[in-house]
Amino acid sequence: MDIEKDKQVLGNDEKNEKEDEAKLNNEENDQDQPINISENQENVDDKKENPDEDILKEEILEDKNIEELGNVDNEEDAPPPDLVKVSEEIDEYILILSNACKGHGTENVTDDPDSETAPPNLPISVEQFSGLVKAMIEEYDSGDVPVKWDQLTDEDVESLVGAVDRMAKLLKALSGFSSEYKYASSINNIGGILQRAMAYLEEEFRDFLEYHKVDEEDNINNNESKSKPSSNQEGDENAEKEPDQVDEKISYFCGYSEESMSNLYKLVKILMAGGHEAECCQIYFIARRNDLEEKLQKHEFEKRSVDDVQKMNWDALEKDIISWNETMKEFTSIHFTNEHKLSATVFKDHPSIAESLFNTIAKGIIIQLLNFPDAVAMTKRAAEKLFKYLDVYESLRDFHSKLEELLATEYSKELKYEASLTRGRLGEAMISIFFELEASIKADSGKNPVPGGAVHPLTRYTMNYLEYACEYKETLEQVFRKHQSMEGSDWDRRAPTEDQPQNSSNNDSNVKKQQSPFEMQLVNVLELLHDNIEAKSKLYKDYPLSMIFLMNNGRYILQKIKACGAINGSLNDTWCRKRSSCLRQYHKNYQRETWSKLLNVLINHEGLLVKGKVSKPVLKERFKSFNAMFDEIIKTQTSWVISDEQLQSELRVSISNMVVPAYRSFMGRFSQTFTPGRQTEKYVKFQSEDVEARIDELFDGSATSGGRWKL
Amino acid sequence: MPATDNQSSFLNRISIRRNQVSSMEHDQENENIELFSKHVVDYFADLLPSHTSSTTNADPSSTSLESPAPDLHPDLLSICWFQNLLDIFLCCEAEFKAAVVMGRDPLHFGKPPLDRLIPELLDRAVKALDVCNAVSSGLDLTRQWQKLAQIAVSSLEQKPIGEGQVRRARKALNNLLTSMMLDDRDGNYHGKGTDRSWSFGRRGGGGASKNDRTGGSFRPLSCSVAKSWSAAKQVQAMSSNLVAPKAAEQTGLASPVYIMSTVMVFVMWSLVAAIPCQERTGLQTHLNVPRQLEWAKPITVLQEKIGEEWKKKEKRGAAGVLDEIKKMEKLAKSLVEFADSFNFPLEEEKVVEVAEMVAELAEVCQKMEEGLPALQLQVREVFHRIVRSRSEILDVVDQNGKASLPPVLY
Repeated sequence: MDIEKDKQVLGNDEKNEKEDEAKLNNEENDQDQPINISENQENVDDKKENPDEDILKEEILEDKNIEELGNVDNEEDAPPPDLVKVSEEIDEYILILSNACKGHGTENVTDDPDSETAPPNLPISVEQFSGLVKAMIEEYDSGDVPVKWDQLTDEDVESLVGAVDRMAKLLKALSGFSSEYKYASSINNIGGILQRAMAYLEEEFRDFLEYHKVDEEDNINNNESKSKPSSNQEGDENAEKEPDQVDEKISYFCGYSEESMSNLYKLVKILMAGGHEAECCQIYFIARRNDLEEKLQKHEFEKRSVDDVQKMNWDALEKDIISWNETMKEFTSIHFTNEHKLSATVFKDHPSIAESLFNTIAKGIIIQLLNFPDAVAMTKRAAEKLFKYLDVYESLRDFHSKLEELLATEYSKELKYEASLTRGRLGEAMISIFFELEASIKADSGKNPVPGGAVHPLTRYTMNYLEYACEYKETLEQVFRKHQSMEGSDWDRRAPTEDQPQNSSNNDSNVKKQQSPFEMQLVNVLELLHDNIEAKSKLYKDYPLSMIFLMNNGRYILQKIKACGAINGSLNDTWCRKRSSCLRQYHKNYQRETWSKLLNVLINHEGLLVKGKVSKPVLKERFKSFNAMFDEIIKTQTSWVISDEQLQSELRVSISNMVVPAYRSFMGRFSQTFTPGRQTEKYVKFQSEDVEARIDELFDGSATSGGRWKL
Repeated sequence: MPATDNQSSFLNRISIRRNQVSSMEHDQENENIELFSKHVVDYFADLLPSHTSSTTNADPSSTSLESPAPDLHPDLLSICWFQNLLDIFLCCEAEFKAAVVMGRDPLHFGKPPLDRLIPELLDRAVKALDVCNAVSSGLDLTRQWQKLAQIAVSSLEQKPIGEGQVRRARKALNNLLTSMMLDDRDGNYHGKGTDRSWSFGRRGGGGASKNDRTGGSFRPLSCSVAKSWSAAKQVQAMSSNLVAPKAAEQTGLASPVYIMSTVMVFVMWSLVAAIPCQERTGLQTHLNVPRQLEWAKPITVLQEKIGEEWKKKEKRGAAGVLDEIKKMEKLAKSLVEFADSFNFPLEEEKVVEVAEMVAELAEVCQKMEEGLPALQLQVREVFHRIVRSRSEILDVVDQNGKASLPPVLY
C-alpha cells in the first residue's frame, strides 16, 4: 500500500473529517458535536472537561481508517474476492512468514528489528483479506444501531471468529518484519481493522453480559419471560425460539440461558484470539461484580458504616443481622457456586483466567459481607445479644468451612483469616456476656423477698437464658474451647480446639468425662445463682417460708435442667444429686419447723394420762392448742406459693402422711373422752378428713411475680 | 498475612485485669509517656520529604518496640511513603497502648478529663475503621485503573505503533480518565441510576455512552459504606472535638491521648486525600494540628505539604494526591493528546517521546502492582489493630463501670 497516499488520507483536513463524521453520525442528538473537533485538537485542556468529545474523536479516527481502507478496495476493479479462498491464501502466507521468521533464528514471531533476510513479499491477498474483513465489520458496526451479536447467523459468527483469529495471526506474523517499510503500512491497516472489530466485540460482550440475563427470581415464576431481548426489539426470533427448545428445564447460571452462555463463550474466544484478554477480563469482572452487587441490594443488605452500626438500636440491628445471615447463606450456597460455574463455562478455554476472575469477583463481595459482623461484634455488649451473636458466629463458621471449596487457597487464605478474626471478636463478646451475666447475678441484691416464697424472677431469667443458650450448646462449646486454647494455659487442653462441632470420639476412652469449658461456665452460673438464692432466702423472717422459697427455686432450677437435655448433659450426675439432696434438706427443715410442734401436741401424751385416766383439762388444752396451731399454719401457709404442681402435691402428701394419721389416732384415742354434743363440738374442731382437706389447700397463694426479671 | 496482635489472649487480658497491680510506679509511667511523644516526633520526622534529621533512628535499641525502617525516604505521598506512614501509625499505636492502657488502673479512666477523652478516642477509633474500609475499596478502584493503564502500555509498546494500537490505548486511557473524573465528582459516586441517565446511545456518534458506561462501572463497587457516607465528613467528625489539653492537664494522660488522636486523624486524613474515597469535598479544612507543640512539628509540616497538593488537586479535579495516581493521570492525558494527533507512520522523535511516556507509565504500573496489594494488607492491619485496641481500652473502662455502678440486667 502506498504510504504517501495513507498520509494524504489521514492528513485530510477537517472538511474531510466532517464528511466522514456526517456519514456515520447521522443521529440527531449527535449532529452538533463534530464542531468541537478542531478545538479539541488544539486545546487539550478542554478535553478533560468533556469526555464525550474524546470518544467522538476516537470514533472519527476509526472511521477515518476504515474510509481509507475502503478507498484502497475501491481502486480494484476486479470482482469481489472470495473470503474462503483469500483466507486459505492468508493461512499459507502466515505459514511462510513464520517460517521466514524462524529462519532468522528467532523463536517464533518477534518484532526483532534486525531481521536480515528480506521477508516474503506481500501478496495481494493481504489487501483483499483486509478489505473483506473491514467490510464485514462495517456491516455489523456502522450507523447508529450496530447489529447485535445474537442477530448474527451461525455462519456469520463463524466467519467473523475465523476472520478475527486469522487477522490477529497475520498481524502477529507481520510484526516480525515491522522494520520493513513496505510492511509497516499494512500492519497499520490490519491493526486498525482488528481494533475496530475488537471494539465492536467488546461492546457486544459487555451488552451480552449486562442485558442478556433474566432476573432469576422472575424466572422462577415465569419461565416464558426469558432473555429480555436486549436494547433493541429485533431479538424476537431468539426469544421465541428458546422456550420450546428447552421446555423441560432451562438451566440458568446467574441469569443466563445456555444459549446466552454459548454466545458469551464465543465472544470470549474471539476477544482472546484478538489479543484483548485484558479488556475482556475487565468487562467481565465489572459486569459480574455489578450483578452480584445488585443481588446484595435485593437482599436488603444495607451497607452500613461501622459507626452507624454502633449507634443503631438493637431492634433495628437485630433485623439487619437476620437479613445478613440470609444473605450470607444464599451467597455461599447458591450465588458463588453459580458464579464459579459461569466463569468456568464462559472461559472454558482459559481455565486459569476463569479461576482468577471468579476468585477476584467473589473475594470483593465477601469482603463486603464480612464488614458487617465486624461492626456487630463491636457493639455494646448486652445479654440479649448473645443469641444473635451466635447466629452470626455460626454463619461465619459455616462460611469458613465453605471457603475452602469455593475459592482457591491464595484467595481464601486472607478471607479465612479475616473471618476467623471476626469470629474471635464475636466469641470474646459472647464470653464477656457470660461474665457479665455472672457479675449481674452476683450483684443482684434486691431487699424485698418475693411474696409467698415463690420462684424468684432472677431464677426464672437465668434459667430461661441458659435454656435458650443451650440450644446453641455446640457452638458455645466451640467458642469457649477456642478461647481456652488461646489461653494455652491450665485449662483442660485435651479438649479439641478445632472447629469440629461436638465430637464424642475423644471421650470414649476410659477417662471419666472431662468437663468442657462451657460446662464449667454453666456450672459457675448455676452455683452463683444458687448462692444468690440462698442469700435471698435470708430475707424471709419466717424460717419455713425461706425453706419454701429455697425449695421453689431449687425445684425450678432442677426441673429446667432436666427438661433441657443440653444443660442436663452438661452437668454431671454428682452435681444434680447434690442439688436434689439440698432440696430434700429444705423439705425436712420445713417440715420440722412447721409441723413438728404440731405433731408433738398429738404424739406426746405426757401429762395427758394421770394414773391411767385421761385428764380432761389437759386434753382440752391439747385440742385447743392443736386447733389454734393448725389454724394458724393453714392461715399463713395457704397464701404461700408452690407453683410447681408436683412439688405442691408432694409436699401436701408428705404433710398429710405425717399429720393425718397422727391426728386420726389421737382422735380415736381421746375424742370419746368428751361428752358428745357441745363439748365435742367445742374442742374437736376438725375431723381427720377436715385436716386432710385443709392440708390440701396449702401453698395455693396467688403467685405475684416480681416482674423485674423477664425473658 | 498481617500479624496482628489477635493472638494475645483475651482471657489472659481479663485475668490481668482482675489481678492488676493498682498503682504503677509513677516515674516509670511518666517516662513511658515522654518516650511516646518523643518517638512520635522522630517517626514523623522520618517522613519529611527532604529528610536531614539526624535524630531519627539514632538508637533503635532504646525503643521497646522496633521502629519502622523507612525505605530510603521515598517520594512524599507515594505508595511506599504511605506504607511507611502506616507502619509508623502501628508503632505509635503500640507505644500508646503500652504507655497508657496496659496495666492501667481503671479508676484513672474514670476521672476527668479522661472520662471524656477516652470515649472520644474510642469514637474516633470507630470512625477511623470506616475510613479504612473506604480506603480499601479506593485501593480496589486504583487497581482497576492500573489495569487500564496497563492495556495502554502494552498496546503502545508494540512496534510499530499503528492506528489499532493507538486507538486501543486511547480507549483504555479515556476510560481511565473518565473513571478518575467521575470518581471525583460529588454525589455521582453511587447508584446505577445516575450513570445510566448519562448514556445517550451506543456507538455511532454518541461514543460517550461507551466511555461513560465503562467509566461508570469502574467506580469502587465494593464501597463498604452507606451511600450517604462521606469521607470528608468522617474525618471532620474525628477532628472536630480534638482539642489540645489545657496547660494543667498536660502532665497527665490527657496529653498522650491527644497525641494518639492527632496521629490517627492525620493518618486517616492523608489516606483520604491520597486514595479515591467517597465524597471528599472540603477535606483540607478538616484537620487542625497545633503548630506550637513540639511533638506536632513534623506532622504540621506534612499536613501543609499534603494540603498544598490537595489544593492543586481540587483545582485540577484530579483523582487523588497519591503520587502514582497523579503521575498516571498526567501521563494518561499526555498520551491521549498524543493519540489525538497521531498520524501513521510516526516520526522518529515522536517515537522516542512516546516510548519515554510509555516507559514512565509502565513504571507507575509496576509500582502499583507491587505496592497496592501490600498497602491494602497494611490498611487491613491498621483496621484490626484499631479494633483490638479499642476493645482493650473498653475492657479497662468497663472495669470502671462495674466498680462504680451496680450492673443491671434488665
